[in-house]
Order: sequence, then C-alpha cells, then structure tokens
Amino acid sequence: MSNHKKLENAFVSILEIDATSINDDLKYQSIPEWDSINHMFLITELENVFDIEIDSEDIIEIKSFADAKTILTKYGVAF
Amino acid sequence: MISENNSNLFELITENKNLVFIDAKGDKSFHLNEILLPVESISEQSRSLVFLYLDTNIDALAVYFSFLKSDHALVLLSDSIDIKLKENLEKEYEPTIIYDANRETPSGYQPKEVLGDVVHLELFVNENFNTEIHDNIKILLSTSGTTGSPKLVKLSADNILQNALSICDYLPINSKDVTPINLPLHYSYGLSVLHSNALLSGTIVCGLPDVLDRNFWKLLSKYGFSSIAGVPFIYEMLNRIGFLKKEYPSLKYISQAGGNLSKNIKEAFNNYCLQRDINFFVMYGQTEATARISYVPTSELKNNITSIGIPIKNGKITIDKETEELLYSGPNVFGGYATGRADLSIWEDIKELKTGDLAYKDASGFYHIKGRLKRIVKVFGNRVNLDEIEAFIKSSLNTSLLACTGIDDKIILIAHCNNTIDEPKLKKLIFETYKIQGSAIKFKFFEVLPVNKNDKIDYKAISASFLGA
Repeated sequence: MSNHKKLENAFVSILEIDATSINDDLKYQSIPEWDSINHMFLITELENVFDIEIDSEDIIEIKSFADAKTILTKYGVAF
Repeated sequence: MISENNSNLFELITENKNLVFIDAKGDKSFHLNEILLPVESISEQSRSLVFLYLDTNIDALAVYFSFLKSDHALVLLSDSIDIKLKENLEKEYEPTIIYDANRETPSGYQPKEVLGDVVHLELFVNENFNTEIHDNIKILLSTSGTTGSPKLVKLSADNILQNALSICDYLPINSKDVTPINLPLHYSYGLSVLHSNALLSGTIVCGLPDVLDRNFWKLLSKYGFSSIAGVPFIYEMLNRIGFLKKEYPSLKYISQAGGNLSKNIKEAFNNYCLQRDINFFVMYGQTEATARISYVPTSELKNNITSIGIPIKNGKITIDKETEELLYSGPNVFGGYATGRADLSIWEDIKELKTGDLAYKDASGFYHIKGRLKRIVKVFGNRVNLDEIEAFIKSSLNTSLLACTGIDDKIILIAHCNNTIDEPKLKKLIFETYKIQGSAIKFKFFEVLPVNKNDKIDYKAISASFLGA
C-alpha cells in the first residue's frame, strides 16, 4: 500500500469521513470530525501506521492533510 | 474586594472597576459597559426563556452578560450542536428569544437587530411563546455537552453568585490577572471561570483558538495569561505537546476539573508547578452544584494527589453511611432537572445533592472518589449516560443482545452478539448523535453476553474480558 493511501486510511478511520472528502486542503477544525480530541488520536494513529514517534512540536504543525505529508516526510516517510 | 451588601452577580461584576475584556481576534479591549447590548427592548416580555448558543468570542460574552443583567431565564448551549438537535430542544422548550450566530432565522421567529456600542448582532424572537418559568430559575445548563439532551439543570441567580464567591475564596484571583476563556461557556466549569474572574480579575481574554493551535501560545505570551483551566483531556494534550518542557513566566496558577486526571500526569504537572511557584488547583464538582464542590489546597496536593480535597467555603460534604455516596449541601445546590417545558414552572428545594459518586474521607479530612453509583462515564469531560447510549444503539440496530460499559473514563465499550455489526457506520452514527469521537468507542463480540446471578448483564465481567483480551 502506498504511503499516501496509508495516510488517507488513517484519516478515514480516525475521523470517520469518506475518502472522497480528503484532499490537501482538508484543514484542522474545518469539519466537526477534525477537532482537538480526534487530532490527538490521529497523531497516535500516524505513529502506529508509520512506526515513528512524532515530536511534540510537530503535533501542532499538522494543520491540514498537506501538512501531514510535509511533517511525515521529516520522519523519512516519502510521498 | 467584593462588596458584601449586594446579592446579584451581575451588579457585583459591574463593581469590578479593573475589569477589561480583550478580544484576541481583533486585538481590541473593552469595558463591560461598552459590550453590553440593549436587549431589554427586544421582546414585549420582560421575563421569558432565552436560548443562547455560545462560542467563546466577544459577541457571545456580550450577549451572555446582557441577558445575565436582564430578568430573563437563560439556557446556555453549545453552538456546535447538530441543527436537528437544536430544533428538537426548541420544540420542547419554546424559547421566546434565540441567539445563534450560525443560523438563518428559525421558522416562527422574527429576526431582530441589536446594536450595541461595539457589538452588533441578530436575535430571533417569537412573541407567541411564553413558557412559564419559576421565579428562582436564572440559568439552565446541560450536563452532556454537545449531545443536545433535553435534560437541563436548573440554577438560580443565588446559586451562580454563591458558587462564584466560594471559588473566589480559594483561587488566587486578583486585579492584575489576565484570564483566558479557553473552556466553553455552556459548560459549568467554563462558566465558573468566567464568573469568578469577572468578579475579581483584571483582564479576560476571549476569541482564542484552542490549545492545539500555535496562536494560542503566541497569545499566551503576548497578553501574559496568568492561568489556564482544563479538563483531563486538555492536560493529556498539554502533556503530549510538550507543555512541561517550556517556560511560561506569566503563569500564576493552573486549574483542573471535569473528571479524574490520571495520577502520573497530575504528578508531572504538580512537579512542574512546584519548581516554578505556580499553583496547581485540582478540583471536583458537578453542574448540579453550579460547578464547584471541593478543591485540593495547592500546598497539600503533593501529599494528596488522588484526593478531591475539601469542600469549598459554605459547602458541606457528607458520606451516606449505607451507600457510601458523596452528598453535598450548600447554597450552590440546584433546583432540580428539567426534561421538558412543564418542569420550568417548578423549583425543587434540594437540601442535599446526591452526586452519584462513591467516596470516603481519610484521616486528615480529605475526600476521595472510589467509584460511581450510576452507570455514567466521563468521556473528554462530558458526562455520558451508558444506559441512554445502550438504549439508542439497541433501537438503531434493532437488537437486544447488546451492552455498553465504560472503561477508565476513556472508552465506551460496546459488547454485542452480532458478528456482522458495521463498526464504522455505528461509530459515525454515535458521533452524529452524541458527538462522541469514534476513537473512544470499542467493540467486543460475545457468543453470549455475560450475566450475573440475577440474570442481569454483568458489566464488570464485560470490562474484565475486554481488558484481559
């Protein structure tokens, strides 16, 4: 499975939204499902899926789907 | 100093000459009289039922204080409740006035422009509704956050005044303070932060992003926040985003309520605070007690880390000898629940609040919670009635072979006998109806649901089986 697909699956399973509603512009707090609580669960899911540990500073840097890819790239996850 | 010969919260707040509101969104500051709105003339009825759907922006504060000053009775609600749930609530209670910045004029209502000095907004008025309200009722709060449950807690003007005064007695609030409004106002803890600080604080900052937004931290240092209030989940987030690795020179105290924060995180925050001369207040309460029931004196927290502390000023805690339930009495005890319009004409004189929490008192006089009498869990600071969720899912799935239980106030476990259950779909439905995040919901399949000797569902066995798996 491609990393893009893995990332998309993480968003789908944690936010419980359709894959079709996910794109680079999907932003934190722009939909009711992506609230602060789900954001923390999303971070944990990304850590599990990509087997990484996300630094505390980066947690608040992930503000959109596109940001998630940028930040994950720092941890060696290629898109 | 709070004057002692005034018995109205709003009047006392107007006597706080140091009080300034900062709207972080526009970086502007206002005095209370500048943001007040002329709501007296908005309806022919001087006392009616008002629904306020609130966020934490300056408009919400303006509309809240304007109606607090009036003779109306106010239902404070989350602005993010699902529209269908809002309509259900309005159908049940028939409010004469509605404030909801996110909505077109509801059917049957007339839009009315309200122009203040700095705040302009629209209210919806329906003069045909004149719900009868008992003289004592001033504020009505839901206990379940954004789920839109019609069950409301009835509070009097005296309840909110007395609880605010008791809180001012132990929190080190003074006129130099800069207090962020980072909890919702429809939530009793958030409202208590606003009330107690409006009485004694200097500056109150509203219009803030949440703590996961970088801007919150920029604004903390820009305005010099002197306190932060949080429910357990906020502390878990703060811990995870590296709060304890940084310095906040303006911070004087932090407070925690809204459920039990796990011991290791509480200790980490307490150690951080002890090293920096920051006071950490761990508190306990219920909406039925307006907000606050007890607190741990900050110097005692280290040695009483799992305690809920001692009763607030003018409050009294007793433990029921038979059931071990924590009973609370004091001037902040509510006047009963309302589940529909007819209940608003009644005020119950409740001498003792039955909290539903099981507790004991230790040798040094500190109280400790050891369990719950009712089938209630607190998920992310919001109270969830497991029987209600269970009944909802049973009817949605048309099955009786299902049981819900709570695990550590973090997870709602759905035990079921249907191996074709559509988990994502059910999670989505629960989020839509109760705003409970799917990540807090787990499923476990049983061939047969465990029962006890009386053939009742054995919830303990279900939890044990999940935790052991």
